[in-house]
Amino acid sequence: MSRSFNFLPTVKSGEATRLLPWVMAIMVYLSALAATGSLLLHSGFDNWASSLQGRITVQITGEDKDQITAESLEIQKALRQTPGIEEVRILSDQELKTLLEPWLGSGNITDDLPVPVMIDVQTSEEAYVNLDALESKLKQISDNVYLDDHAKWLSHFYNLAYTVEYTALGILIMILLASVGIVIFGTKSSMSEHKNIIAIMHLMGAHDQMIAKAYQKRFMYYGLKGGLIGLLLSFITVYGLLNLVQDLSGGLVETPTLPYLKMSILLFFPLLFASLAMVTARITVMRELGRMV
Amino acid sequence: MVEFRNVSMSYDKGHEVLNDISFKLEPGSMHFLTGPSGAGKTSLLKLMYLAQRPSCGEIMMFGRDVAKAMRDELPKLRRRIGVVFQDFRLLDHMTAVDNVALPLRIAGGSGAQINEHVEELLRWVGLEDKMLSLPSTLSGGEKQRVAIARAVIRRPDILLADEPTGNVDPEMAERLMYLFVELNKLGTTIVIATHDSALVKKVGAPRLHLVGGRLLHIEGNKKDISDFNVGKERDQ
Repeated sequence: MSRSFNFLPTVKSGEATRLLPWVMAIMVYLSALAATGSLLLHSGFDNWASSLQGRITVQITGEDKDQITAESLEIQKALRQTPGIEEVRILSDQELKTLLEPWLGSGNITDDLPVPVMIDVQTSEEAYVNLDALESKLKQISDNVYLDDHAKWLSHFYNLAYTVEYTALGILIMILLASVGIVIFGTKSSMSEHKNIIAIMHLMGAHDQMIAKAYQKRFMYYGLKGGLIGLLLSFITVYGLLNLVQDLSGGLVETPTLPYLKMSILLFFPLLFASLAMVTARITVMRELGRMV
Repeated sequence: MVEFRNVSMSYDKGHEVLNDISFKLEPGSMHFLTGPSGAGKTSLLKLMYLAQRPSCGEIMMFGRDVAKAMRDELPKLRRRIGVVFQDFRLLDHMTAVDNVALPLRIAGGSGAQINEHVEELLRWVGLEDKMLSLPSTLSGGEKQRVAIARAVIRRPDILLADEPTGNVDPEMAERLMYLFVELNKLGTTIVIATHDSALVKKVGAPRLHLVGGRLLHIEGNKKDISDFNVGKERDQ
């Protein structure tokens, strides 16, 4: 096993590798943003989806408010008698207003507006409720009753969630591949810059591993330095964006909360990029040296 | 110690720069390698310091055919050879001490041992006041002495020098030659490529003469070397 010592000169201003830590910083910055976006969406999707799973919304429409109110009470009674249903709750007028206000504007919801009665139904996790059979049963009480278990919406929702997550993963992989390419380019450029030094080291009996170690250390440092800068910048950006979203929050947009535990994985990004740079530099140097005498 | 058997060499499958070279150097001998420019002196030295491989033939060194050595065996063999390059090839970002210490550090020597040896050797070549100087601040003769110190720091079995006196004045050339003769007396096999026919005549070591990539003749006699004492006289 060959010992390691740094025989390479400090990087001069004209060398291409001088920019490498900054390029790595940009790569880590973009990766961290892509990962944060993915984690935020994942967390949001989970919350939204879990709030809808096992829920059925029953809607009774009509222009005669007294009639639909009477029908809703009967339907509520029928629902409570249905096996597999745990909770049945008619939404109050105030709750309906709160739901509609973001769309119609505050003060625009008058009493003569034909707002349907909404019943929120929570089904048991273990039980299966046949939606078609339930709808047929409720139709006997009112022709204007509609059931929605959100299955279609959830299906689209999950498709979107998976697409977003796979896109984020694809972006991460592309950034990693681009980083590998940049490190290969940087290593070859540096080797070309120092070819005389490498030749002298070889002629004095240096093993390829010794030369590779000097390069892998240097590029690991670049990766770590760039990684820490990129991570810091990404945190600043994420917090800045979250503050902007919080300023917008007025009901239309739910303020996203950072999944801190999951986001702690981002702390490993500088290490990941440093390791990637180190391994890539080593492989590149060993391959290049292998072509020499 | 060193034996070439029908060795030929070409760069990138071009024309042969060395053609059917055969000779044998005894251990502890000193030889000059002479010939006009383009005769193949540097190429012959490159084969000897294992920077190139021959296109055919055998190169016997250290009891084996080094032309067929595996790539990972070369570092160990190279550590037994000291080389003084025509253009010095010092590492510009390192001080004289660090340049001379390079072979020891490559071989894994410890810090204290390295410093002790290097400083002693630099004093021996008269550079005790230039130890921490960068090569860019040294004169041609000083650079050459640093290069020689670097080549001999590990007491190599073979010392190869390519035009070691080409960049220095005649006085310095004699002083450097005296260093080589002294090293040879310590048992190091030495081959010096040079154009300086006067110096060759003065030292009187045997001569390998190359013309157009062919070895024409070997002449001279080792016993003459003991008469070379110009540098010694000058130092006294």
